[in-house]
Amino acid sequence: MTLRPGSLTFLIIAITAFGTRGLAYAQAGPKQVTVYIDSVMAADTNEGTDPRLAPLDPKLRGLFGFSTYSLIGHNEGQTDCGKMIAFVLPGGKILHVQPRAIDGDMIAMEIVLFDGTRPMMTTDLKLKNNGTLIVGGPRYEQGMMIISIGASTGGSHPMQARVGTPAEANTR
Amino acid sequence: MAECDEIGMMLGAFEDSELERNEMQEVAFHLARCESCTGILADYSTLGRNLRSAAAEPPLAGFSSAVVARVDRLPQPVLTRIARFLRRQADSVGSGLAWGGAAAAIAVVTVILMTPYAEQFADRGPHSATSIAKTEHEAATAVNQVAEATASEPTMADNNSHADISRLESENHSVAVWSEPRRDTTVIWLPDQP
Repeated sequence: MTLRPGSLTFLIIAITAFGTRGLAYAQAGPKQVTVYIDSVMAADTNEGTDPRLAPLDPKLRGLFGFSTYSLIGHNEGQTDCGKMIAFVLPGGKILHVQPRAIDGDMIAMEIVLFDGTRPMMTTDLKLKNNGTLIVGGPRYEQGMMIISIGASTGGSHPMQARVGTPAEANTR
Repeated sequence: MAECDEIGMMLGAFEDSELERNEMQEVAFHLARCESCTGILADYSTLGRNLRSAAAEPPLAGFSSAVVARVDRLPQPVLTRIARFLRRQADSVGSGLAWGGAAAAIAVVTVILMTPYAEQFADRGPHSATSIAKTEHEAATAVNQVAEATASEPTMADNNSHADISRLESENHSVAVWSEPRRDTTVIWLPDQP
């Protein structure tokens, strides 16, 4: 069987086009997002960093000037794009996270932080896969509360606290 | 034997199968009954075979190519020569052009389809120190940054940041937002109101 150059050109272009589209489809494949929440109390009581926060310690010390960082809660949960996941945090805070879309290496999501039933903050953002958003400031006991929110399309997040069993996460 | 005289004139043509159908039948019918004419026909056959075997066939090797070469040497019109030259060039270069065209088309299609991914990979480059400075909004603290005021702000982080905030609403009078691209972290600071 002979293949004319014109036919060969068409064949190669078709393979390339469909192959690339297939690659794009495969890359757009994962629609599940795992959300990691670390609730940290930061204070100036010179007690150092909670060992469970070792992965977060350089980040916390680089961003803030507190002398004490203590893990007060860890939550994680998996949800689909478009489906909101709710976390009950220490200090009567509630966090709603709703991934909206995965755009390449970015995860678009809406985050709402409640103090009880009162919404404290609402934000829409695109967070890099395995990136971290820190929401801080509310008073907590003798210091302030820092909430580290990580999102990952994979199975784990490189910057989450080392805890034995993940705390309960509420989804709806 | 008048019949034999007539048939005898047709025997050579009969031997070469050159007679009409009715004549062939007439001669064949006569030969079946006439030994004299059958002998003459046998002589014709023998003579023909001997003549064919005696004649030497001229050698034909290279005959056709020699004819084509002689035809090529004949003067041709200018347009015919140009057309022939172009046809020969196209035959030799055509496959090369086809392959070149195929490669170029593949390159174009690949670039078009892969551009979003190329941009995506480009965005993974190292973050510059200036981008860090640019995204530090700590000093801004957005006094009276109530919900409606911030809602219109389209983006609070630059394109190199790991986070792109398109909307931020808060009841707090002071909200600080800054980004640390080196640590892949963005901070929203919501101090408790006094």
